[in-house]
Amino acid sequence: MTLKRLFAVMALPVLVLFFSQAAYAQDKTVTGKVTDSKDGSGVPGVSVTAKGSRTGTQTGADGSFRITVASSVNTLVFSAIGFTTQEVSITGSEVNVSLVAATSGLSEVVVVGYGTARKKDLTGSVASVKAKDFNQGVFTAPDQLIQGKVAGVQIISNTGAPGGASTIRIRGISSIRSGNQPLFVVDGVPLSGGSAAPGLGTSIGDAPGDNPLNFINPNDIASIDVQKDASATAIYGSRGANGVIIITTKRGQTGAPKVEFSTSVGVNNLLRRLDVLTGDEYRKALQDYSQTGGNFGTSVDALDAVLRTSYNQNYNMAITGGNDNGRYRISTGYLNQEGIVKESGFKKYSASLTSSFKFLESKRLGVDFNVLTTHTATESAPISNNAGFQGSLIGAALQYNPTASLNWTTAQPINPALGATTINPLALLAAYDDIGNLTTVLASIAPSFKITNDLTYRMLYSVNYKRGERRAEIRNWINYQGVEGRGVAAISNNRSVDQQVTHTLNYIKAISSSFRLDALVGYEYLKYDFKGSGVRGTRFVDYPGIKYTDYLQNVPAADREIFSFADPLAELQSYFARATVNFRDKINFTVTVRRDGSSKFGVNNRYGTFPSAAASWNINDEEFLKNSRFINTLKLRVSWGRTGNQEFPTGASKRVVSIGQGVNQSTVNYPNPDVKWETNTLTNAGLDFAILDSRITGSLDYYTRKTTDALFQRNVTAPGPSDGRYWTNLPGSINNSGFEIALNGAIIRGRDLNWNMGVNLSFQKNELKDFVGTYETGTLNGQGSSGATVQRLASGYPLNVYYLRKFEGLDKATGQSIYTDDGNTLFYFGSPNPKTVVGFTTDLTYKKWSLVVNMNGAYGHYLYNETNMNVVPIGNLGTRNISKSLLGGGVKEALSNPIAPSSRFLEKGDYIKLANATISYRLGDVAKTFKGAVVSLTGQNLFVLTDFTGFDPEVNVDKNVNGVPSLGIEYIPYPRARTIQLSLTFSL
Amino acid sequence: MKLVKIIVVFIFGTLLFACTKLDEKLRASLEVASSSVTAAGLLQSAYESMNVPFIDQSRFWAAQVHTTDEGIGPTRGPDWDDNGVWRVLHAHTWNADHGFLRDTYRELLQVQFAATSVLDKSPTPQQAAEARFIRALSIFAVLDGWNQVPYRADLTDLTKLPETLKGTAAADFIISELNAILTNLPDGPSIKANKDAARVLLMKTLLNKGVYANRQSPTFAAADMAQVVTLADQIINSGKYSFTANFFDTFAPDNYSNASKDNELIFALEATNGVRGCCNLNHWYCTLHYNQKPSGWNGFTTLSDFYDKYEATDKRRDDAYPGVTNVSGLRVGLLVGQQFDQNGVALKDRKGNNLSFTRAVKLKETGNDLEITGIRVIKYPPDYAKEFPSENEYVIFRYADVLLMKAEALLRSGNAAGALAIVNTVRTHPSRGVAALTSLSLDQLLDERGREFAWEGWRRNDLIRFGKFLNAWQEKAASGPERLLFAIPNEQLSVNPNLEQNPGYN
Repeated sequence: MTLKRLFAVMALPVLVLFFSQAAYAQDKTVTGKVTDSKDGSGVPGVSVTAKGSRTGTQTGADGSFRITVASSVNTLVFSAIGFTTQEVSITGSEVNVSLVAATSGLSEVVVVGYGTARKKDLTGSVASVKAKDFNQGVFTAPDQLIQGKVAGVQIISNTGAPGGASTIRIRGISSIRSGNQPLFVVDGVPLSGGSAAPGLGTSIGDAPGDNPLNFINPNDIASIDVQKDASATAIYGSRGANGVIIITTKRGQTGAPKVEFSTSVGVNNLLRRLDVLTGDEYRKALQDYSQTGGNFGTSVDALDAVLRTSYNQNYNMAITGGNDNGRYRISTGYLNQEGIVKESGFKKYSASLTSSFKFLESKRLGVDFNVLTTHTATESAPISNNAGFQGSLIGAALQYNPTASLNWTTAQPINPALGATTINPLALLAAYDDIGNLTTVLASIAPSFKITNDLTYRMLYSVNYKRGERRAEIRNWINYQGVEGRGVAAISNNRSVDQQVTHTLNYIKAISSSFRLDALVGYEYLKYDFKGSGVRGTRFVDYPGIKYTDYLQNVPAADREIFSFADPLAELQSYFARATVNFRDKINFTVTVRRDGSSKFGVNNRYGTFPSAAASWNINDEEFLKNSRFINTLKLRVSWGRTGNQEFPTGASKRVVSIGQGVNQSTVNYPNPDVKWETNTLTNAGLDFAILDSRITGSLDYYTRKTTDALFQRNVTAPGPSDGRYWTNLPGSINNSGFEIALNGAIIRGRDLNWNMGVNLSFQKNELKDFVGTYETGTLNGQGSSGATVQRLASGYPLNVYYLRKFEGLDKATGQSIYTDDGNTLFYFGSPNPKTVVGFTTDLTYKKWSLVVNMNGAYGHYLYNETNMNVVPIGNLGTRNISKSLLGGGVKEALSNPIAPSSRFLEKGDYIKLANATISYRLGDVAKTFKGAVVSLTGQNLFVLTDFTGFDPEVNVDKNVNGVPSLGIEYIPYPRARTIQLSLTFSL
Repeated sequence: MKLVKIIVVFIFGTLLFACTKLDEKLRASLEVASSSVTAAGLLQSAYESMNVPFIDQSRFWAAQVHTTDEGIGPTRGPDWDDNGVWRVLHAHTWNADHGFLRDTYRELLQVQFAATSVLDKSPTPQQAAEARFIRALSIFAVLDGWNQVPYRADLTDLTKLPETLKGTAAADFIISELNAILTNLPDGPSIKANKDAARVLLMKTLLNKGVYANRQSPTFAAADMAQVVTLADQIINSGKYSFTANFFDTFAPDNYSNASKDNELIFALEATNGVRGCCNLNHWYCTLHYNQKPSGWNGFTTLSDFYDKYEATDKRRDDAYPGVTNVSGLRVGLLVGQQFDQNGVALKDRKGNNLSFTRAVKLKETGNDLEITGIRVIKYPPDYAKEFPSENEYVIFRYADVLLMKAEALLRSGNAAGALAIVNTVRTHPSRGVAALTSLSLDQLLDERGREFAWEGWRRNDLIRFGKFLNAWQEKAASGPERLLFAIPNEQLSVNPNLEQNPGYN
């Protein structure tokens, strides 16, 4: 039994039965292969249709196809996403076609809200990234696939922890308080954006969030389409304000079942470190500072001791097949990414099915059915956003006296001579255990019916079920304040169920030879249901080898806590419509409108309307350019529209009484029956072009984005309820504007040698206008920083502008910091928002070899190095370690110089990172069984060029104050890994 | 075929218009109008709302202690800079953006809100009286610190601006409220609003009434003083209260649960594991060194001039406490000099120097000894059994305050002999163990209050009433009259036009 048949028998009995090949009585059979003109590789999934009939098929995994057509048919049409459609005459029984990539060409098909559009007809600003252009390497979540790929999109992977969350900003920040992440839509299902992973429940602070997109296997994604302007996003109404990212998963391909494999193994180690003193340097510093104590005689590198070289493995298998009646794709994946911090890692098990069927003789009834299931297991190290002055693992390692042995026992987790508050990082690692499990199911069924040739009805029902469990504990022997002598353990569970029903009617008709109409109306209902519970205990009897979370019930009754909650139900009900009119293939008008009602909005503002209007003009089709040799494509786009942001909690419009322990009841909320969405008004003007035989293609876009009715939690006029703040829409506005350039060039086009280069740049500006009052954010943690903040919201400045003491150097006489006005006046400094975000990509193909390099960077912004300030300051000398950057300056800093937030720790954040580079070799077909085999070697995070002295300039540790987000603060994050991996893909 | 079309269109049509009413479903919480929201439930939360603003070391307590000669939060090199929040309190240079004062103001007013909420839900007369006591206490604290008290009598429309009670009017309001509720309050226990607690608050308000009329040069009306004496006598003559055997019993982990230790308690905030509690443990964390047990934050200290107000034999200054000293070596009272563990082994600081607390302390420490400067204060003996959360009830009103307020009222009415006798009953009780005074001046009475109530959160109130608050003292220069009030926090000024900034802060 071949492997192929084994799978067929084991996994697909039902489907195989369903798809069993029907016999067709037709006249001629054509076979052939479709290849990519770029590298000669087979192109799978190309739609092959007989011109003038409904007969069609798709190419298989290696690009080959077989089609039986009526004898009258003499032309085949080959079309595929990402390639220029070609018509080829049938001249024999074999037709081989070489398709030309259309990455930026206008014939490309892109995914838009509730449908697709030819790029040529597009009026909005949409950037489409196809699977073959994704970043290479091992990624836990799909957002990393397009980092640096799209102009105007900044993606910051917040920490180096496997599975960690990202900060994604499309065209800057527009919201103060209501969330700035874009809306993600997976195969028509908008995601709620939250993660069901429970919080920590122990006492070491808040863990960095995990990535809510972890449940998607990047290997299952066919394309990611970024909707940037209002023409593209207004169809998503009150959730479209931050842009929309549409993820489309791979579909099955017609033909006998095919099995595709990909596998990779990789090795990870530390990319960059914040330098602290070595044992010898420390001894010298002690001498220089005439310190008698502090030298324990040996030399250790505590950071090295908690880090490791780790490995990752990734296996994917997909089976695709189908015929005219239906197609399917089944895939499974396994990812095991060990963290470079010991005892941390991320495992993902995923399985998915996408299928579509056609019923009835007329094939007018169709059903799409998708299920995506994922289980992730995250083992986390004790690294939190806001650990107190004893720091978290990385802090403990950086601070650890480099002359002291790292030996420890449970009886003596720290050498008392090092001080009761110093934590031995190895002891902390051993004392800490934190396992999170998250199961996600995203299932949808979408029947559609072609009522007439022009009119199609489609219904989509989806359910997104997430269940998270977290078991965390700290052993009682660690010398951690609040834990020592007690121990703490918590088990928390969250459950989230999101449901959606969407109805659409789509009417496409050529009204006359000059006019084509594409109209869509729809209704959508969404419901978000989130609940959770947990147990927590302290005062354990320690049994080595047995986890506290396995005998929580044994702690004294008074030391147990239980909790449960149910978030207010959030419901959303919407009506939407879109009409696109095309005039002679030259001029397009698109009008969209969405009316959104949300249970979150106050009774006085329950429904909001979000319109957009846009036009585009294909100038190159006009007479005066038609024959230009220089300009191949020239298209002008303009759009205007409104979108909304509704990321605030349900219940804000009412006076809510929370129920507490026993009979306790307290008013928590100051009601605002007028509270509503915040409004983004967007304008966009863009130019798409292709010149020099389409060797240079690109887009230019200028946009403005103005946010009004900004949602904010404003201070209540006291006396008020315990929350102290209430949700309201502020006067004033947040203004963003920017300019984006995307350029792609085919530098060399040859039979054996191809070289392409692409660059995208975005320049952006951000300002808060007419804002009343100021609000602080960017809270600091650690000794001497209680209540200290470094950023603020203030009218006339960018969001999150730094507001600090001005550091003027060290006093030569005293070694103390000098601040302007003795530190009594704070000043505005730079912004953590980059002025320029850049992405660069190049690929070089020579025969069977290819090299792809992707780089990304950001310029013109500042990062706050809280690690340097708080974790390894000069005052540590004598007990704990200090930052290397503190020594060797002209003035000797006094050991007593206080830790104080100031411009001293503000650093330029400019960086460019070699995000990934891949060399691959196409083996082609091996021994008839293995088809289209490719071997490749990929390096991720190979280097970063920056002056930033922290771990990685790509960082954003959550330091919010009362929910007002911070940006660009580094605080002992999980260090970033550099990864080298070898991968192999082939199909059977 | 046609049938299918009709069905599809029908389904679509019906679904399209089968709209949901988008009602908010709160699920795990209630709307205020719900009949499930009761006076008893709201009263419970009104009690709990007092925890943070009154107990936490950065709130009302800091406002009353750090601004005086009994407390200082020195910056110790890498620790406790905190953007200067502690230094400005002691140096009298705070402004309207001070984070802790801002939070204290808001949270004290939240207590008022929580208490008033009870009154909207048909409380029993006793519940209403308890809520109004809590509200009066909150108004008193805000009046004392800021002079302007935003007040909402009606909670039906929270978008309406609150009125502002100021100075004498606010004091009169407190007095009329307390007199109105006295009959409906229960006799006890001390962790609930009770008749004697209301009497003490009345005494406090009457004693300070002249201050609230004119903080710079207060006068004390004879009628008010007479009333203070009357109220004190009602409490004293009830026979319910006496001194504990050890001065620190009143603050011990079992200060409420142990019947031999609750003799002095009149009003305290409950701390019972699993029921109610807050942050009492901060009161030892904030002062203990890292290497002491429990490991502290190595922060606040008192000053040597204040320490020197005590006589050497005064047990309020230094004592051993059973369950503490024998467990960890830690003594209670004011800690100066070498510290030891339970075995008598000398403790070291983190740099290996002897952990020997110095008399000297500076606002900004720069020496090599910056970890060990300053005299530490342990008023609440640590709860080693239940440290998280500790079970020491937080003391608001206690018997000694009744006695010393009576003495003050007598002294201010010209009866120095009567006052002296009372002061001496406090001083000479074996729990204090100091010799009787032979005469009594206002300054001596202020010092006695200082010794008795050190770090209990009354010093600022006392210094202002005795006209000493603007004086220079260790690590503080003489300050301007605007410092008699805190600045109205900008946070509230920007949302409440009925408030005006206190003089001198614009």
